[in-house]
Amino acid sequence: MPRKANLKKVVILGSGPIVIGQACEFDYSGTQACKALMKEGLEVILINSNPATIMTDPEIASRVYIEPLKVAYVEKILEKERPDAVIPTLGGQTALNLALDLDKAGILKRLNIELLGATPDVIRAAEDREKFRSILDTVGAKYPKSHMVRTFEQGLAVAEEIGFPLILRPNYTLGGGGGGVAYSMEEYKTKIAQGLHESPTSEVLVEESILGWQEFELEVMRDKAGTFVVICSIENFDPCGVHTGDSITVAPQQTLSDAAYQAMRDEAREIIEAVGVQTGGANIQFAVNPADGMRVVIEMNPRVSRSSALASKATGFPIAKIAALLAVGYELEELRNDITGTTPCCYEPALDYVVTKIPRFAFEKFPGTKDQLSTQMRSVGEVMGIGRTFKESFNKALVSLEKNEIGAPAVALDDSLLTFPNSKRVYHVFQAFRDGLSVADVVAKTQIHPWFLEQVEELVKTERDLATGELSDLRLREAKKRGFSDTAIAQARTIGGFKSTADEIRQLRWRNKILPAYLRVDTCAGEFKSETPYFYSTYHSIQEKIPFAKPMIALLGSGPNRIGQGVEFDYSCVRSVREFQRNGFKVAMINSNPETVSTDYDTSDALFFEPLVFENVLEILNFIQPKGFVAQLGGQTPINLAHRLVKAGQNLLGSTIESIDLAEDRGLFAKICTELNFKIPRSGMAANLEQALKISAQIDFPVICRPSYVLGGRRMEIVESEDELKAYFDRHGAAITVEAPCLMDQFLEQALEVDVDIVRGSDWSVIGGIIEHIEAAGVHSGDSMGVVPPQRLKEEACARIEDLSRRLADRLNVMGFLNLQLAVKDDEVYMLEANPRSSRSVPFIAKATGIPLVDLGVKGIIGLKRDQVKPEQYDWHKTKKVSVKGVVFPFKKFPDSDSILGPEMKSTGETMGRGDDYPEALLKAVIACDLQLPSEGEIFLSLREKDKNDLLPLIQELEGMGYRLSATQGTAGFLKSQGIDCEPIKKVHEGRPHCVDRIRSGQVAFVINTTSGRRSIEASFGIRRSCVDYSIPCITESDAAKAFVIALKKRLQGDFSVSSL
Amino acid sequence: MTHRQGFLVLESGETYSGLWRGKEGMDRAGEVVFNTSHSGYEEMATDPSYFGQILVLTAPQQGNYGENDEWWESSKIWIEGFVCVEMQQSERETSWQNKLNKHGVPILCDIDTRQLVLLLRDRGTQMGALVMADSPGAAAEKAKTLIAAKKKIERDWAYMVSRKKEETRPGKNPRGPKIAVLDFGCKENTLRELVARASEVRIFPSRATAAEIRAYNPDGIMLSNGPGDPLDVEVATETVKDLLGWRFIFGICMGHQILGRAMGGKTYKLKFGHRGSNHPIKDSLLNRIYMTSQNHGYAVDQDSLPKSVQVTHVNLNDHTVAGIYDPSKKALSVQFHPESHPGPHDAAGLFDFFVRQTQ
Repeated sequence: MPRKANLKKVVILGSGPIVIGQACEFDYSGTQACKALMKEGLEVILINSNPATIMTDPEIASRVYIEPLKVAYVEKILEKERPDAVIPTLGGQTALNLALDLDKAGILKRLNIELLGATPDVIRAAEDREKFRSILDTVGAKYPKSHMVRTFEQGLAVAEEIGFPLILRPNYTLGGGGGGVAYSMEEYKTKIAQGLHESPTSEVLVEESILGWQEFELEVMRDKAGTFVVICSIENFDPCGVHTGDSITVAPQQTLSDAAYQAMRDEAREIIEAVGVQTGGANIQFAVNPADGMRVVIEMNPRVSRSSALASKATGFPIAKIAALLAVGYELEELRNDITGTTPCCYEPALDYVVTKIPRFAFEKFPGTKDQLSTQMRSVGEVMGIGRTFKESFNKALVSLEKNEIGAPAVALDDSLLTFPNSKRVYHVFQAFRDGLSVADVVAKTQIHPWFLEQVEELVKTERDLATGELSDLRLREAKKRGFSDTAIAQARTIGGFKSTADEIRQLRWRNKILPAYLRVDTCAGEFKSETPYFYSTYHSIQEKIPFAKPMIALLGSGPNRIGQGVEFDYSCVRSVREFQRNGFKVAMINSNPETVSTDYDTSDALFFEPLVFENVLEILNFIQPKGFVAQLGGQTPINLAHRLVKAGQNLLGSTIESIDLAEDRGLFAKICTELNFKIPRSGMAANLEQALKISAQIDFPVICRPSYVLGGRRMEIVESEDELKAYFDRHGAAITVEAPCLMDQFLEQALEVDVDIVRGSDWSVIGGIIEHIEAAGVHSGDSMGVVPPQRLKEEACARIEDLSRRLADRLNVMGFLNLQLAVKDDEVYMLEANPRSSRSVPFIAKATGIPLVDLGVKGIIGLKRDQVKPEQYDWHKTKKVSVKGVVFPFKKFPDSDSILGPEMKSTGETMGRGDDYPEALLKAVIACDLQLPSEGEIFLSLREKDKNDLLPLIQELEGMGYRLSATQGTAGFLKSQGIDCEPIKKVHEGRPHCVDRIRSGQVAFVINTTSGRRSIEASFGIRRSCVDYSIPCITESDAAKAFVIALKKRLQGDFSVSSL
Repeated sequence: MTHRQGFLVLESGETYSGLWRGKEGMDRAGEVVFNTSHSGYEEMATDPSYFGQILVLTAPQQGNYGENDEWWESSKIWIEGFVCVEMQQSERETSWQNKLNKHGVPILCDIDTRQLVLLLRDRGTQMGALVMADSPGAAAEKAKTLIAAKKKIERDWAYMVSRKKEETRPGKNPRGPKIAVLDFGCKENTLRELVARASEVRIFPSRATAAEIRAYNPDGIMLSNGPGDPLDVEVATETVKDLLGWRFIFGICMGHQILGRAMGGKTYKLKFGHRGSNHPIKDSLLNRIYMTSQNHGYAVDQDSLPKSVQVTHVNLNDHTVAGIYDPSKKALSVQFHPESHPGPHDAAGLFDFFVRQTQ
């Protein structure tokens, strides 16, 4: 049956800001759905609060609303748009929950809007533990036994019944607080008592442990006629106990017999039917006891999920697109398999390759949090490696992580890192075999399935073999078939005492014609012809030339998401493809991140799903012989590759290597700024404390200190005094040498920071806009909120900033993008940093101002002239709306980490609030970040000395708004002296009850805690942490506090509007 | 294991060099076919329909989950050889590799199976040989002899794999029908599906006559799967013709082709056949679309069928006939494998349909 005739206008709900567990895979699914439904001729309305996404590009849907995904806002949009239906199954849990809320509030009924893809009943059946279990009972599926325990005595009885080990999950505690695993009655007694205490409802779910069981996932689809297909089976390398998002996973499953697999498939179908999923995608997770094959259901999601993105990329089956088309009434039989072009969509992909996904973590950003993996997801991104065998795909995926070019380099084997799952365990699994452990030994320690360990053991054998004798053609070929990078081979040879470099291995390879073949992902293991240019490399076939349409450019993507390099760069990449195409180019995309839109097979003219490392990129460039490669759009990853690629004879398009160096090299950059007469912060480099003290005398405290060669602000600290400088060297001195000195910069205290994105061609430039940071200097630009147009900057300062930006772009001879960070202090403008590429802020600026910034950047890269570009038509000053960037942090997922903001970036995602004025935009940005805005209650204050006077008017205002005030002794004393009534509360070290007790007791509605200096930061940690745990807003910077109060006031006014881009 | 060189030599001359996993003297010839199922190697190898064939699996890694006698679909391994990219070969007590070798079946791995599959797809199924040799030249020589010899074997492959004596199994459903099965190379799971629903199942050799079957007086007749060209199967078409309209007949795969011929239709050879576990079938009898297990090189020609025959099952990939039904003749047959093993169980309902028709 074709699509429902009554459908004209459909709303798609996005998933909001990127958070751990819900990331850009939903940009992929939403974008795919929008494209598919637009093609159907439907009017598609998209709602999402995340400006970094591709789906919120105005070209993707009929109308895009960047508004908070909250009932009130969405209701207003629905009233305005009056759509026929809402599709809630493509925007993760956020969209599903929102749909439930809309339904519960009676809004859908009142406006006569249909929910497509999943009904409220289905959503509840899958989400409600009890309901879901009763459904499992009806189909005879098993699940881990569990009981809700309410008293200690009952807990003991439950433990007797289920047996050890047991998993404890206290109800309604945050961040898994109080939960854990108990292996013995003794341990259990302590934990259950603690859990009951920590749960606000005194409830602890006690669950049978399935630790060490094998974990599987089936990605399935169903249409309204009842046709059911499994798109992909996924098997976890890590056994149960590690969140599947944090596990290394492999597709298709490798260790189940056909009998076991088909039984699982049958059960999946029965569950889908029983839950009542009518159309669309769903996923079901299973655990299998390796001892006896017993299978239990872990959970089911009646929607497109994180694994759907992986499954789509792994198989070539566009799950989200098909889910959207099924939702509007099509059946699988009626839809064509795009990849083959001839067969229908009612089929199950057959793979003649293996896919491995490896998550990427960011524990190093959250000191205090133990690097251990458990049932709560912690990873911030992932990579996928495709190879003909697991070994090849595994090695490719390890290299794709961009941690090193070896894959699994040697580590000092640590038994505890092998036994307890953690982000580095995979390296220790390799090392275990290097150190002579057997498969049985490692199974005993890790419970990883022996098949996977056999594979690792074979890889280590190959490694050992490479360390001996002559490197024959045959042996080199064998190593390449097993996915060894040239660097890994060189490394193995070096360990064996041979002199070898990756370049030599590469030359040897080329001489012997050992080249990667590029095979197609064709959904059918070669059974049908496919022309779809979706490729992966392998050394299991002989390279055959493929004629590509010319002229072609190669576009380097941004690899796995990490803090500081995420979906924003995928936005730039994807948006640029269309502009390159409009200018007559074909685009070959290279990327390793399965969550992205850029790795969709129909985003570009050719997709190479490959590691973004020198070897793989160079081979692709040699293979496709493009006009050149583009390194400006994928963030720092491609910029870092550009040097070697150019040296290898490849043609870099846009800004030259020399331009890039001028911007990236601190010395050269400082020289240029001086030459242009720009003010820059005073700075120096110190190899030891003595030198550091000397330099600090020249540049004055406070100074920002950081070791050389660190990324994303690691170990970067603001040092306020000589004592602190000494302490800094005590802690980090070991990392500071003559070769890697400590970089010291004058810290522009209380300065206003701005981000500028500018694009330039040979005889023109366009400024995208100036984002004024809301927090003062000292907070990483990725972590600070921002506003366009600036609210506090004077017009002259703006003009000066624009002038400096243009002059710098000219001097650097930028062809394409340039991102600048500047600071304004005492009416002086300082140039802080230049990034010769598209930036994190580009999508935000483009959406805030309506200037097609990426398209213009592409025009600059390909060398269009002023008369072709007509830059004068783009003027960001004409922007009428105010847009505020909100920021989302993952502190809750990292217990014991400090939420104070500083020079090191910690946020995972952003929101955008658009309004007619600053307060409205601010309020929306804050709401979209899920921050609570308390309209009454107690505000706890703990302010450092220098903020007290500055924040006094604000505190008076809060008092006037009816909030109760409490504060630490010092702050309270100050406020009392100013005639403000305020209850003094003890600091943590002053005895109990202290301020943290107060926060944890639930009496405090929000907290302003400004502090600086290492000792005070440490002393006030408990305040911030308790706020994170209890979801209480905690503002750690004075300008942010002012902004927050503006939002609070706006909220109390109550009025708001919604508008599309 | 030492690396010994082995070859797959196609009749058309292409030679693939890989690693030989087997003993010397295990060289074999056969029709080279590929299957896209991800799992179920042991079920396939023991499926009599693979008689005389060298099985190429597109899923690169085989032997991962070991071996198990319970997965056998008949009493022996029928394939002439096993080809894949990589075979699990680390030390385990039991392994698929050892089991194949123990039964004299050679394995060739580390060849570019994708390129081989594309060749078979584009040019069609052909004969080939798996040989251990020191050079491609020596391999070609050996292969030539083997292929020539293989071509001379008896043509009625169904007879070669069929039971030669009747076998009776008690059913598990005392109120169920008595079923006669014509064994053209019947898979165990077809018998299991029948036994679960029948009061008794009697399996007849492929050349059983109508009189022999009538003498058993079954409530329904099952025509099993089996290898080879239906044209070469002796006696069966006449037997089925005779029985048409007497008791309800249900055919699978070869049984479907025999039924088609018995009803007056023609069969033809497909270019490279259908072998896999993901083939979509539109079933207008049960009114569903489902995934099926398939393994056949021949098909029934739709245009050759008499008017009374309905095409109730269509392969949605290439729109070939996947099932026919003639209520007036009380006969239903499908080209795919509702008994699965390997493959999805989605079409098992056809056994229920069959049993209902017998009552």
